Amino acid sequence: MIDLKEMILSKDNLIPLLRKLKKDARLIAPVQNKYGDTLFREIDDIDGTEIDLHNQPQASLKPFFLPQQETLADYTITNGEYSFTPPAKAEDTIFFGVRSCDLTALLYMDLIFSKPSKDPTYYDRRNHSLIITLGCNQPFPNCFCEATGSGPYLEYGYGLQFIDLGDRYFVSAGRGKGADLLKKWAYFFREVNEEDQQKRYQLFLEARGQFTRNIQVAHACRKLEKETVPEEIWEKLSRRCYDCGGCAYVCPTCTCFSIDDMILDAKHGLRIRTWDACTSSGFTRMAGGHNPTDRSRHALKRRFLHKLKYDFERHGKASCTGCGRCIDICFGGVDITTFIDLLTTQTQKKP
Amino acid sequence: MTNSIAELEGADVLLVTGSNTTETHPQIGRNIITAVDHRAKLIVIDPRRTDIAKEAHIHLALRPGTDIALINAMMRIILDENLADDLFISMRTENFIALRDYLHRLDLNELATITGINRDTIHEAACLYARSSKSVICYCLGVTQHTCGTDNVQAVANLAMLTGNVEKKHSGVDPLRGQNNVQGACDMAALPAVLPGYQNLADIDVQERFQTVWGRKTPQIPGKSLTEMTHAGEDGDIKAMFIMGENPVLSDPHLNRVENTLKHLPFLAVSDIFLTETARLAHVVFPAASFAEKNGTITNSERRVQLCPRAIPPIHNCRPDSKIIMELGRRLNCPGMNFDTEAEIMEEISLLTPIYGGMHYDRLAKNWGLQWPCWNRDHPGTEFLHKYYFARGKGCFTITKHQEPYETPEEKYPFTLVTGRGSYHHYHTATMTRKSRRLVREYPEALLEVNKEDSDKLKLRDGETVELASRRGTVHIKTTITDRVQPGTVFSSFHFFEVPINQLTIDAMDPKSKCPEFKVCSVNLRKVKHD
Repeated sequence: MIDLKEMILSKDNLIPLLRKLKKDARLIAPVQNKYGDTLFREIDDIDGTEIDLHNQPQASLKPFFLPQQETLADYTITNGEYSFTPPAKAEDTIFFGVRSCDLTALLYMDLIFSKPSKDPTYYDRRNHSLIITLGCNQPFPNCFCEATGSGPYLEYGYGLQFIDLGDRYFVSAGRGKGADLLKKWAYFFREVNEEDQQKRYQLFLEARGQFTRNIQVAHACRKLEKETVPEEIWEKLSRRCYDCGGCAYVCPTCTCFSIDDMILDAKHGLRIRTWDACTSSGFTRMAGGHNPTDRSRHALKRRFLHKLKYDFERHGKASCTGCGRCIDICFGGVDITTFIDLLTTQTQKKP
Repeated sequence: MTNSIAELEGADVLLVTGSNTTETHPQIGRNIITAVDHRAKLIVIDPRRTDIAKEAHIHLALRPGTDIALINAMMRIILDENLADDLFISMRTENFIALRDYLHRLDLNELATITGINRDTIHEAACLYARSSKSVICYCLGVTQHTCGTDNVQAVANLAMLTGNVEKKHSGVDPLRGQNNVQGACDMAALPAVLPGYQNLADIDVQERFQTVWGRKTPQIPGKSLTEMTHAGEDGDIKAMFIMGENPVLSDPHLNRVENTLKHLPFLAVSDIFLTETARLAHVVFPAASFAEKNGTITNSERRVQLCPRAIPPIHNCRPDSKIIMELGRRLNCPGMNFDTEAEIMEEISLLTPIYGGMHYDRLAKNWGLQWPCWNRDHPGTEFLHKYYFARGKGCFTITKHQEPYETPEEKYPFTLVTGRGSYHHYHTATMTRKSRRLVREYPEALLEVNKEDSDKLKLRDGETVELASRRGTVHIKTTITDRVQPGTVFSSFHFFEVPINQLTIDAMDPKSKCPEFKVCSVNLRKVKHD
């Protein structure tokens, strides 16, 4: 009996395998469009589409599970009575080429959308999904997942994890659906030998050594547990935050949303859920104008403390996955790494 | 911009004048902030304490409308400190002696008093700018929207030439264009006195070339400027007007006149993506396709012509502006109005506009477009302007003298009103941004910035509605008490039709550019009595 937890897939067999997988589910993978942007999208024609495993997808998986705008229900009024039509059911979907950070983010979202009760549309999509990750042998310039404990390779959470060993993939299976797939398509794979194990370990060590950014995430979390952040830091950061919400929108773990009713006409309307951002002043403004998070001071405070302090207290882990997307999007250069740097270098100096 | 946007990051000194860059040009603001993080020095000239002014090492909070006095003072200090670039001046410029003699006759204390800035601070800023060989000036509408706007720009150019801070990477003079394609519109001669590519209307060779392609004579005399057209009055000589993507009923100064003019036009057609306040006055409205529904190019501040491909088909019966124009042209028996594709239109542009000579769609699709001048197919585009020579040959120093704004505060109207874009969330007359619920939620209503000193004197609470009046009109507006404006100055945006602030602004304009003085007019503000 061979061990079905870990197998080797020759690169020649990747497309044949995906072709089989695609028969039972939608296949979504990163593809570079003609403008040079790499984005996750559905693969219709597997031979005519080149899957891009060399660039970081610009958006995370978030839009597939929590769309930027989704209809929760549409309603019709007949004789003063409301009737609701729930949204369409999710389809079985396999995501291929997902990076470790983005899967970690999804596991965090699972937690958020499970309390107090499971969010129906989120969990419908989630239950119909299988994630195949690709370990990062070469971190991207803004990445720091090593510091957030969400990469470059993963220990759990995936359906399948692929590690690129050059001419072949080292494939590990997670519990449930992933292991089933491996079993079902076993004839594409071969067993793992000692050399494969060695190579995987070697690449893992090399990948860990290739991060260009040294972000002291754990240090920052511990500091935040004990100390309050000096006001000058908030002052400096908030002066440069222009409240565009870009960081929240690209962040794979930002899950703030608002629900609006969109009236189409006298008899029809939609209940829609859209992304929101805690840095937006309107998000917390109450009727009468009072705002517990004043834009000039508290917008970023809420965001950074949530990621690094409150989530650390609640879940034992910061909810930043080190994907680095917020770094390039920020107009003011006050992304989370700026905050961590200020916090860990400035307060260190004090006796 | 004479520079490319990315060059700003490599500058050593950035002088930002009349620009609230982080709010109005956030992408460029990001470059400036990165430069500051890389230890560049930032000087901001602005009467308001904007976010970028807070980042500045030196903030010169001048009295509105005194830019020339300030820059003349800086130039005088540069001469006194022997920081002028003599080699650049002798090789590349002319008329320096006249400027030098004029500057030597000025009294620095007097200039400092005019601007309201401490002389030592001006001295510090002047030396900082002049000592670096990688100094960049970014300016925006705070410089141009004055009755002396052209002279303001000339003063800025003098300052750059005096220190040799042009012609090379990381140093130049950069007007930041306020709308995504206003550079392209100007390039395509949406200006009264030129043909596409800033070619002289009166040049016989130019006329001939256009005549050959267009099949008819080009106009021989310059047309009218925008403000001249919208302020012509009820019996102006314009009989018909076609307004595209513009909302002058909110955006032009002295609105009562604009409305009066448009209402009395025998024929008005408007094409826009939404039914704007201006479109409501029109006899015919063309529903136009938005940027996402059509192909085309957008030319940005750094002269980069970028392809903007269609993302979705036009909704309902909307048509791209080019189709609307072609259909109109055909009905007016205008030859050549039968382009099949946008690429074909670009081919004609390349043929007739030398600076766009090599801008073909296939080339633009690569590498995020090309920067003009791009003379032919093999030309790589131009990163920064004025290397080796200026467009006119030698750079010409022209003396600029301080002149007071058209209106200065007086007993009846003791405050100075400055207008501009008020927030990150709304754009101009908000015809588009107010369609977004999220943006409306973030910035729901017009606000008048009032300094604490003034609000104390008038016994105003934060958020209280006041009556704001000028010689031309009155509006009611909610106040916000802030240190962003100086005492005696108030600021408001022009985003909200409920508070048409341009009813108050003045239509006095710069004699050359015809740009109205949106930045300065005298107003009074009064508590509103509640019954």
